[in-house]
Amino acid sequence: MARILKVMVRKVINAAITIFGIICLNYALLRLMPGDPALSLTPRDPKYQGLAEYNRELFGFDKPPWEQFVIYLQRTVTLDWGISYRLGLPVFDVLMRDLGWTLVLVGTSTVITIVIGMLVGSIAAQKRGKPFDLVSTATGIFLYGMPIFWLGFLLLATFEKGSIVGHYFTWWPALPSQGYYDDMLGQWAWDGAHLTSAAQHLILPALTLTLGTLAGISLVMRSSLIDVMTEDFVTTAKAKGLSDRQILRRHILPNGLPPMVALIALDLAFVIGGAYQVEVVFNYYGIGWETIQAIDNLDFPLLQFIIVVGGVAIVLANLVSDFILLLLDPRIKVS
Amino acid sequence: MGATEVVVRPRVVSPFQASLRVALRRMQVVWVGIRHSRTAMVGLAILVLFIGMAVFAPWLAPYGPIDRVADTSNCVPNISCPLSPPSAQHPLGISEEGSDIYSQVIWGSQISLIVGIFSAMVASVLGTAVGLVSGYMGGWVDEVMMRFNDVVLSVPWLVLMIIVAARIGTIDLLGLILVIGLTGWSITARVIRAQVLSVKERLFVERARMIGSSRSHILLRHIFPNAFPLIFANTILTVAVSILSEAVLAFLGLSIYNTVSWGKVINQAIGGGALVIGGNVWWVIVPGLCLVFLVFGFYLFGFALDEILNPRLRRR
Repeated sequence: MARILKVMVRKVINAAITIFGIICLNYALLRLMPGDPALSLTPRDPKYQGLAEYNRELFGFDKPPWEQFVIYLQRTVTLDWGISYRLGLPVFDVLMRDLGWTLVLVGTSTVITIVIGMLVGSIAAQKRGKPFDLVSTATGIFLYGMPIFWLGFLLLATFEKGSIVGHYFTWWPALPSQGYYDDMLGQWAWDGAHLTSAAQHLILPALTLTLGTLAGISLVMRSSLIDVMTEDFVTTAKAKGLSDRQILRRHILPNGLPPMVALIALDLAFVIGGAYQVEVVFNYYGIGWETIQAIDNLDFPLLQFIIVVGGVAIVLANLVSDFILLLLDPRIKVS
Repeated sequence: MGATEVVVRPRVVSPFQASLRVALRRMQVVWVGIRHSRTAMVGLAILVLFIGMAVFAPWLAPYGPIDRVADTSNCVPNISCPLSPPSAQHPLGISEEGSDIYSQVIWGSQISLIVGIFSAMVASVLGTAVGLVSGYMGGWVDEVMMRFNDVVLSVPWLVLMIIVAARIGTIDLLGLILVIGLTGWSITARVIRAQVLSVKERLFVERARMIGSSRSHILLRHIFPNAFPLIFANTILTVAVSILSEAVLAFLGLSIYNTVSWGKVINQAIGGGALVIGGNVWWVIVPGLCLVFLVFGFYLFGFALDEILNPRLRRR
């Protein structure tokens, strides 16, 4: 047990180093670009007049680089992230609110993806070379290569209110496709009407994200299980007369799952990239949608911390998967 | 030809050339595997088709990528100037800017392929260098490189790319290739590092070390050739990812200004009202399908190659 604790502490230290690296990289990339940052980071709109001077003071653009860096670090750590130009609200509050909606979207689709993906992958692995395997693998690779924004637009055009299909068939379902709940309901509240509306608004975005990321899981599950199936101990188990079910549960899954957990975490960066596209297509007001708005408005205070929030989320997800991996894999405990 | 003219010249072979030659010999074995894999051949056929489309685009496309074939100067988009639906002369219709969409789709294959292939090469060279050095050197070098790799892997690059581009204003072909290539090497580095770690322990490397071979010699002559097929398969898969990255960037509005790519065509189609009732759905569907099939081809070929090269996946 002490050994696991030691490994865990190391992982936490590594994660902390990585987060520090992201914060530094973010600083360097956004500031080393040509031009006066105070000016180029301010929208050229009369209503933002005076903002350049305010920024110069706030971010210390007139001070030497190392001093700017210290100011930046201090503000990052104390969560004093400034005020968004576009919304006039504290950046931290805005990002946490958006992150919540993004997590609802990513969470829903990830859970569905993992369940269906693992199921399809393990059936395909068991029926290797049979029609089910061939069809599911080919479909998987096909979906894997599909640009998520394109898939989103096709689903949008098919299922939105007033869709092309709905124009010809009156019985065709029309799903809400804009925003995260019906605007008519006003301020968000935890009641039935809001929850139902939010769930309905979640269907299309989550479906798009699920279809777009499903293959990543099912294909890896398949090859991971096939990898284990060719091991000698599976042949031995078969020779002992165990049923296929028993072999799968007692021998293949315990050995095939750990690499899956690692890959799901690695895949998360891809899923978040997909969520960005989905949010833009469906005007789902999460972090991705906010990013595009921030870019259009050159909302620098928001932009500079969107990268930090995204990076930290991925590092934390990887850390959690490392812990799960440690608890799942018996080999790590002894060796 | 007199006998005196025959001069036996010792061939000077640089270590890198020799290393590459061993690698190419490995590739010949792989080619036999490809010929026997139906998946790989289907993938290859799709790739040949699209490469042909890109190479012969000047002859296949009736118009240039941004030529105006219809006068749209005095009409308000979507109101007094209804979109031209597909016709015999313009199989996919005419875009809002007055271009022939069929021609744009054909020209688009060039940008997708060029950006995909070259950024994958940038990413592969970088990732391979980092993976080889990190895996072989071990110790603190490995530690530092892997931490940096973690950082690169965790940064949401899509966002960063757009922010950088928004500040620079425009982007050209080289810029686009570098942006996608320089941000996409970290997974390659991890894969290569893992491979190096396993090759490093093999007997022939041990032997080379015992007879006093230098580190660079072992790295170039023994480890690189053994990892080369894997690097190749990985590059093919990276091409697919890079093509998708280009499309996503173009869809979000970051593209080269004086030409078209499939992502840009889709972007213009959405903006031009292709998906509303009475719109021109083919404007969105055809370039999207081209993207899907091209990426599908690269994935099929790449995965099949991976299966050929990775003996553990082979059927026993």
